[in-house]
Amino acid sequence: MGVVHGEEMVLNIGPQHPSTHGVLRLKVKTDGEIISEITPVIGYLHRCFEKHCENMTYDQVIPFTDRCDYLAAMANNFGYVVAVEELMELKVPEKVEYIRVIMAELQRIASHLLALGVYGLDIGAFTPFLFMLRDRERILDMFEMTCGARLLYNYMWVGGVSHDLPKGFVETAFQFLDYFEPQIEEYNKLLTYNKIFIERTADIGVLPQDVAISYGVSGPNLRASGVKWDLRRNDTYSIYEKFDFDVCIGDGGQGTLGDCWDRYYVRMLEVKESVKILRQALAQMPKDGDVHQALPKKIRPPKGSIYSRTETPRGDLGFYIESDGSPIPTRVKMRSPAFTALSVLGELAGGWMMSDVISILGSLDIVLGEIDR
Amino acid sequence: MSVDTLFDFLGSIIPAMEGSGLLLVIAILIPCLLLFLVVAVNAIVMVYAERKVAAFMQDRVGPMGQGVGLHAGKWGLLQTVADALKLLTKEDIIPKNADKLLFILAPFMIFIGAFVTIVAVPFGENVIVADFNIGIFYILAMGSLGVIGIILAGWSSNNKWSLYGGMRSAAQIISYEIPAGLSIIIIIMLTGTLSMQGIIQYQAGGMFNWIIFANPFSFIAFFIYFISVVAETNRTPFDIPEAESELVGGFHTEYSGMRWSFFFLSEYANMLVVCAVAAAGFLGGWHSPIPGYFDSNGWGIFWMMSKIVFLIFVMMWFRWTFPRLRVDQLMNICWKVFLPISLINIFGVGIWTLVFG
Amino acid sequence: MSKYFRDIYESLSTMMTGLGITWMHMVRIRKNNVTLQYPEEKWPRPERNIGFDHSNYNVIRTRLHVDIDDCIGCLKCERICPVQCIKIVTEKAPVRGDDIKDIGHVGVTSNGSRKALVVTRFDIDMTECCYCNLCTYPCPEECIYMTGGPNADKHPIDYEFSEFDRSDLIYRFAKPGTKEGMNEVLSKDGAES
Repeated sequence: MGVVHGEEMVLNIGPQHPSTHGVLRLKVKTDGEIISEITPVIGYLHRCFEKHCENMTYDQVIPFTDRCDYLAAMANNFGYVVAVEELMELKVPEKVEYIRVIMAELQRIASHLLALGVYGLDIGAFTPFLFMLRDRERILDMFEMTCGARLLYNYMWVGGVSHDLPKGFVETAFQFLDYFEPQIEEYNKLLTYNKIFIERTADIGVLPQDVAISYGVSGPNLRASGVKWDLRRNDTYSIYEKFDFDVCIGDGGQGTLGDCWDRYYVRMLEVKESVKILRQALAQMPKDGDVHQALPKKIRPPKGSIYSRTETPRGDLGFYIESDGSPIPTRVKMRSPAFTALSVLGELAGGWMMSDVISILGSLDIVLGEIDR
Repeated sequence: MSVDTLFDFLGSIIPAMEGSGLLLVIAILIPCLLLFLVVAVNAIVMVYAERKVAAFMQDRVGPMGQGVGLHAGKWGLLQTVADALKLLTKEDIIPKNADKLLFILAPFMIFIGAFVTIVAVPFGENVIVADFNIGIFYILAMGSLGVIGIILAGWSSNNKWSLYGGMRSAAQIISYEIPAGLSIIIIIMLTGTLSMQGIIQYQAGGMFNWIIFANPFSFIAFFIYFISVVAETNRTPFDIPEAESELVGGFHTEYSGMRWSFFFLSEYANMLVVCAVAAAGFLGGWHSPIPGYFDSNGWGIFWMMSKIVFLIFVMMWFRWTFPRLRVDQLMNICWKVFLPISLINIFGVGIWTLVFG
Repeated sequence: MSKYFRDIYESLSTMMTGLGITWMHMVRIRKNNVTLQYPEEKWPRPERNIGFDHSNYNVIRTRLHVDIDDCIGCLKCERICPVQCIKIVTEKAPVRGDDIKDIGHVGVTSNGSRKALVVTRFDIDMTECCYCNLCTYPCPEECIYMTGGPNADKHPIDYEFSEFDRSDLIYRFAKPGTKEGMNEVLSKDGAES
């Protein structure tokens, strides 16, 4: 490969392309099928999230955090409310913590299912995608049961959650988990260990540990490179220290450590771990208890600033909030995990083929809503 | 029912025109129209079947409905008709910078490539338009005509995605014709004829006389042939020329409406042809699997069609199960796996016939 | 060389496994089917009785609805709305808690509060609404809610409200003629005093 060189062609992948997972434009320099340079162009989905936040109260920001990472809205809510609560030095009731962890982990499963399914679609397998969406739908049903919304929840509030869990939620959740666990095996048989899938993903787009760390890549993408780093363990928040779960890391099972297959498989493993956490949380959750912390009508955090981070399905989500004591935040800055994941694409994709670019991009699991905000 | 017999038959009923050139044209046109009908009906049925097979494999039910109107008929039976109507009424867009002549020509080239091959496909003991003495060779030769259309479509669209699609397609189809051809050589070695009817007649007398079961090498050859033609018809897992998630639409990115539907018409026609060749060459054609039973002429059409439909179903089954290969892996499989095995096969069949034949 | 054959074997075996799975799904479609024929069949909405204070209402996020007779014009919903899709204009009522028959204004809400303001405009632009449900919580009279909310017995759940014209999605809840009528009422009032 690469012995014969032709004239280089600049190709725009996107902003409207089936596999850019949103409105992302990749400026690609190609020589035939071989990619020599790749530049992501972002901003097509910019909605001024951070500027908006400077004009509205702390409550009103929550629906906007939903819309950042719209595939893991619960996790974004979680990250934001944890940050505000830390700023206010607020302790929320134990039941609320359990509900939040349950929701965040369900959301992690839902988000990873979509990531895995769409990755299959990028590689060309249609059926696993629909199987995974079918199971994601069940999780969305549970969210709908809880808070009435299926995608953008606005469920976690500062000091609590908007509604208590509905009656019968715990049973439904256990039913779902019992149904879901065997399905993981089916996904594995149908897609993960399929030889064509392995050929398309193993050894492709290897992200070495040092590159990952220096770019600030986080979440499953980092763990796939073999770095045991999970904020739920390493910088624990909420009540994650109560649960017994493993931090899954890639092991180069089918190729090199940190290749696309590892990134895919780490997500699959994390789904299993989330099931484990869910089982513990659902069993331990206190039956009674208020779901709202008594709060003044207007949230006025004390003067000061906070940087707080949580582990969303995409990685290390940070919120920097600066308060001047008024009901409106002076500054809200969001550190998005998908942005760092996208920034490493240029490093990863050079020298691969056209089809590999799609599979590398898919394996990073980016959400453009979060990148552009 | 070849053109010759039809010509003679028409001459006998209209004695005034016996032997005239006009009658010859009519005798050629009638089977052509019938074949066109076969191709069109095949596409309509296959699109519906594809939707249903895909749906059932994905825990869905596919097109459904109770009546006509908002619904596409009972069980969605009219879905393809609705699709066709939609495609016919769609705006026909030709890109400004496209090479207009080639752009318009390309879908027809592909369609002709698929259509002319059907002429030599036997559907029953006497149901064949033209039983050439080089039938299978003719099908192979004409089958590769379609790739010109695909390259034309890719080039004339003046679109980078289309160009990628066209180039990939050229490489793929031309490469995969080699293992497919080498597998067909095994049939020719065993039967000693190039005529389609001759090949089928060789396989008379039950399913153990079919070429697929003739010896272990021909058994492997069948699978190599089948997988190669899946690649030749651009079906998943070898659909890289139109790879939806990579190349948007591949070589037909810029096509819309009826022109676009011609690509699909010819894709399904191609599937029909290659499956017919597989059925005729390896699976006994219009012979019943049990000798002596259901072996009359009418049943011949049934057996042939059911074998074709089964093979097309397998193609759909592949499509909705497998991921897509990468272009270099595709070439690797062709040149490093199929080609050596095909060559060994030919050698093996030779030895086998020498020893056991 | 052994890798060559192992690769071929692995490809064949994993592909057969995959084919087996899709085949099983295909033959068991009657049991496995998860789709519904939408206009005829609809997904069951989640159970009511969510264990919240109001024991019998559904939290499902649907179309916003306002019981205008109960609205006291406190503007809490307008202020909390993160996207400013609610527009309210109020006028001072001539006499607090009195009905004004001409414009159909009801003086006392169903909770018994006497209204000091007449709502002359209450528009919700559902094209802008982000379905965050924030407006329904502060309402002291529980008169703004997603259909199916606390007052669900009055209005069935409505989540299918597509329109051909975008302006049809602006829902005007204030009674027709309230604005002109209110001017008349006020001018009459002013003339008397």
